[in-house]
Order: sequence, then structure tokens, then C-alpha cells
Amino acid sequence: MARRPASAGSPLVDASMNEAERLEAFEARIHRGEKIEPGDWMPDEYRRQLIRMISQHAHSEIVGMLPEGAWITRAPNLRRKLVLLAKVQDEAGHGQYLYHAAETLGATREEMIEALLSGRAKYSSIFNYPSLSWADMGVIGWFVDGAAILNQTMLARCSYGPYSRANIRISAEESFHMKQGKEQVILMSQGTPLQRSMVQDAVDRWWWPTIMMFGPHDHDSPNSPVLIRWGIKTKTNDQLRQDFVNQVAPEVLELGLSLPDPSLHYDEASGNWLTGSIDWDEFWRVVKGDGPCNAERIAARRKAHADGEWVREALAAYAERQATA
Amino acid sequence: MRDTQWPRFQVFHQEHPDRPHTNAGAVHAPDAELALQNARDVFVRRPDCVSLWVVPADQILSLTAEEIEHTDLPPAPAGNGDSQRYLVFIKRTQVGSHEHVGAVAAASGPAALGEAVRRFGTADALVWWVVSESLIERTEAAEVGSLFGPAKDKPYRDQAFYHTTTLMRQIRGRPKQEP
Repeated sequence: MARRPASAGSPLVDASMNEAERLEAFEARIHRGEKIEPGDWMPDEYRRQLIRMISQHAHSEIVGMLPEGAWITRAPNLRRKLVLLAKVQDEAGHGQYLYHAAETLGATREEMIEALLSGRAKYSSIFNYPSLSWADMGVIGWFVDGAAILNQTMLARCSYGPYSRANIRISAEESFHMKQGKEQVILMSQGTPLQRSMVQDAVDRWWWPTIMMFGPHDHDSPNSPVLIRWGIKTKTNDQLRQDFVNQVAPEVLELGLSLPDPSLHYDEASGNWLTGSIDWDEFWRVVKGDGPCNAERIAARRKAHADGEWVREALAAYAERQATA
Repeated sequence: MRDTQWPRFQVFHQEHPDRPHTNAGAVHAPDAELALQNARDVFVRRPDCVSLWVVPADQILSLTAEEIEHTDLPPAPAGNGDSQRYLVFIKRTQVGSHEHVGAVAAASGPAALGEAVRRFGTADALVWWVVSESLIERTEAAEVGSLFGPAKDKPYRDQAFYHTTTLMRQIRGRPKQEP
């Protein structure tokens, strides 16, 4: 007979327990570092928060294909084209991993897709900015994927097993996304004056939107405390944002590029690179649907879904015929 | 919006002939053949696969350690002639995935689950899955080259392909220009 590991000291969640006892046992499991798996008892709020986060993460992977997908046909050479194709294809796969993780909690694919196509669902605000030159492919890889990797590396330790496993896989695959972008920024920053000005322009446009990607400050982030208590997240928005700035800002400056923040400086006392204040009006405007590309992104997703309808119908008809043959 | 949520299939991949099939995740597909194709596209973009299995997810019987504590396992099989083979998968580590550990013969899914726990039960088993072997769709040896070969030609999917650390070091080592 299988037994609990000897380390499992506190009582398990039991059908005879009342709600408060169940919650206590659940939180004890999380405190011990156990993963919650489909089938295990969990508070409704834990399920609700995970479905919200995982579906938004999935939508971000899918919508995130659009700014880079637009440049596949305009890649400067075959190597860059193969790399960009592979990266965008990975994002499609990552969206699939994540939708399935949300489905283990009872969300259906139809509900999630419908929420995205109707404009109700949120996704990362960063993808509502346009990609205006090839240099954006480098900067998006380094900044945006670099920021996403910090978040996903944290989420790989998430207390919910299926989401943790999806993020382990995603983090392993995305390290090439960040490095191919960083490589391009390095090479362009050491290139011709035109290449340097292209890459500087891209850095100037993507820096603040990337900083905002981590979400509101901790004191304005109502979900943060419960997410941390239940081990869904292990770092706050501001901690992750600081990790990103510390990692990326000094290297950008070493390349002879500048960052569009006159207040940015290294603080000896804390060992952190400190930024100026963030334009939260812009952040909320973009989150609420009024960014430069929100309407275009949703329109592209709706068109893709409508254009694929005949394929879904044909596959379903084929499967039905095979089943009755 | 008219759509169909196709059935879900759990996907197991094998990274090396000596390693067990391990759960990679799931795909939706209208049938097992397309599930195998989707599984290739979703989970084998990198060259670490020699075999794939797909199984209809709603045919897998699952039991977590938490549930085992509160469930009476079905009794051992009476040994009648109606039994069939069930494959057994166990998730052993908190961060791990389900791994194929073997097979049991049983007359029903619940009986297979009980038999699996008795046969393969160890202190570290966290979640059990059993599924009838007849429901598994597998890649065939003859297809391995065409299905998994293309991933081998894409070294640029590996982060080690990009020498950013060396490039940064070279730039740092360069003499600073006088302003």
C-alpha cells in the first residue's frame, strides 16, 4: 500500500473535515512544498486565481506571436528567418501547454478562446505595442522574453503541479528566445551608425513597456498577498521588476546604448539599479484596451479563428466517419 | 461562436530507448492519429524524442496520494479469465511528471488501480495513473526518422547556439575610448 512520505507530518485534506480544517490542511501541504495536483482538494479562490493567471498567460503566448510573426517575411537573412520562425512556433506550443494546464482546473478551451476573441480576457500589455523595425526583433527577445523568463522561472516553482510543469518546459525552451535577441542587440550596437540608431530607437520604445510588464506596484496589486501565501507566486511584481532592471540595465549601458530614463542610477546602498517613476496612466490605458495595437491584435486572432473553421469542421467530419466506418 | 472542444489526449514521450515514457502534457485532437501528429508538433520541437504515446485522457484512472488515504482500494483480482493489461504510470517527485513503471492484468480499471498500488506501491508515489493498454496509440519504429529527425537539424533552438556571454566579455575587455 502506498503511504505518504514520512515527512508529511500534518493531516491530509479529508472529506470529513470542515471548510476551515480543509483550508488549514491545504495550506500545510503548500508550506511543506508539496504540489497540488488535479483531483486534490483546493479552495475555490485558489482555483479561480489559477484559471485567471494561467489563461492570461496562455493568451499572452498566442497574441505574443503577432508582433514578431509580422517580421518573418522581412528577416534580413536565412539564419535570422529560421530563428524567428522557430521562436514564434515555440510561442504557439507554449500557449498549448498553458491552455491545457488551465483545463485541468475545469476551464474549457471554448470559454478561454471566447474570452480572448470577445476582448474580455486580458493578456500581457506589452503585445499591444507595434514592432516597427527589424531591431525590435532583437530588443523584444532580450527585454520581453528576458522579463517573461524571470516570471516563468518563478512560476516553475508554483504550488500547482500542472502549471509548474508547463513553466519548467517553457523556461527551458525560452532561454534561446532571450539569447537570440540579445545577440542581435549586441551585434547591432557594435555595427554601422544606421544599425546603432535602429537598435537605440527600439531600446527607447520597448524599455518602459517592458518595465510595466511586471504589473502594478505591490501596494496596488490586490491579488499578490494570496498568490504568495498559496505558493502560486514566490516573488512580488516589484521584486521581479527589480531583478530585471539589475540584470539588463548595466549590460545595455555597457554596449554604449542609452536607456530612456534620466533618473536611472545604481544605488550603492541597496545594490540595485533604480528607475524613475513609471507612467501608470499609460499602463492602465493599454491594459483596458486603448493601447496602440489592442484592436489590431484581437482582429488578427478573430480572423485566424474564423479562417480555421473549415479545417476544424473537416477534421471533425473525418474523425466521425472513421469512427462509424 | 461555434466550436468543438476535441477530446484530450495525454502524451508520453521517451527521450532515450533505455528511459521510461514520461508524461509531456496533453493535446486536443479529433482522433488518436491526429493526436499523435499534434503531440509531435507541440512536444517534439527539440531532438530529444525516440517514441511517443497518446492516450484518451478520459480513459485514464487517476488517484492521488491524498485520495489513496481515503479510498478503499478494490480487492485483489479473483483470477478469472476476463482480465486485460493496464499500463501503470506514477508521479514520484513533487516537481516531476508521470513515468511509465510497468503493467498489471485486471478485470477493470479500478481493479487495475488497486493492483498497481499493491504491486508498485512505494513511499514516494504521489499520483497514480492506469489505462488499458489497448487504448494507447504509439509511433511506429518506421516513422521515427520522419517524425523526429527534422528537430535534429535545428541547433538554433538551443540557447548554447548564441555566444552572448563571450560577446559581452569581448566588449568589456576593449579599451575605453577617450571622450
